[in-house]
Amino acid sequence: MTSESDTRVGGRIVRPYAMTGGRTGAGLPVIALEALVAVTPDGMRMRHQFRWEAAEIIAMARRETAVIELAAMLDVPIGVVRVLIADLREKGAVAITDPPPESASGAGEMARIDLLEKVLDGIKSL
Amino acid sequence: MESSLSDRPRLTPVKLVVAGGFGVGKTTFVGAISEIEPLRSEAIITDASSGVDELFADGTKTETTVAMDFGRISLKHHLVLYLFGTPGQDRFHFMWDELARGAIGAVVLVDTRRIDECFAAIDFFEKRGTPFAVAVNTFHGRKLHGEEEVRHSLQIDPEIPVLYCDARVRVDVQRVLVAVVEHSLIRVMSGAAAG
Repeated sequence: MTSESDTRVGGRIVRPYAMTGGRTGAGLPVIALEALVAVTPDGMRMRHQFRWEAAEIIAMARRETAVIELAAMLDVPIGVVRVLIADLREKGAVAITDPPPESASGAGEMARIDLLEKVLDGIKSL
Repeated sequence: MESSLSDRPRLTPVKLVVAGGFGVGKTTFVGAISEIEPLRSEAIITDASSGVDELFADGTKTETTVAMDFGRISLKHHLVLYLFGTPGQDRFHFMWDELARGAIGAVVLVDTRRIDECFAAIDFFEKRGTPFAVAVNTFHGRKLHGEEEVRHSLQIDPEIPVLYCDARVRVDVQRVLVAVVEHSLIRVMSGAAAG
């Protein structure tokens, strides 16, 4: 068995993938854990038509919030929250900011250097 | 009502991974600098080889929940930095690839009383080409090993930063993060970064 702090058994009252109609998001491009989710103006207008977790995502994402934060705050597995976010994006209710790409060749190298310099300055200024 | 998000500057998310053996102080490290209490997020796995959150219709696979702790730091320049603690146990190492993807770097946290527990993390980041720094957690009060001993034990390249830190102390953690990002920057500038 595994230790208490890395795993947990049970505790939920709804089967996690019931929230997504059994869909696991397999085949969809994976949304990064740190990608930021933000409600769009359309999402604000549509917000009353969403229920349960989707409505909570809309409420929390009025401030840009990462996928992993939404999963933690809703207490649903990451895979479930990814499917819900992908649905909301398809409806135009949320926009997603992906993290900058990792590869650093050619033009990407300058962008990566610029990003790292800003991060460094940001951490030093804390 | 709040103004719509579209008329504000969008934030850019970046992440750093904090790895190391079970119980070495990863969540403490994250919590020392995070602007939020470290949060815990979970993924459902069916078995270690099948990847994260796959679901099997036949119901014969055992489901396990694996937890990751993370924190958030808002930075200047419209950046938001996420710090991810890796799941500590060996059987969750397959998740590290997802955590490391896109990361600007990694911290390998070391407890010198159990130095071998960080070997897997160092192997992983070396192989993957993720820039990393080694942070020796001194929160038990004693420097049992000098830097040379640590370097010898880990067999790492001389340019990889090795620092001592108390994972509970914000300025120590800040110093480690600065070292990782500086190292990352040097790597990109010298054209040695992961593709």
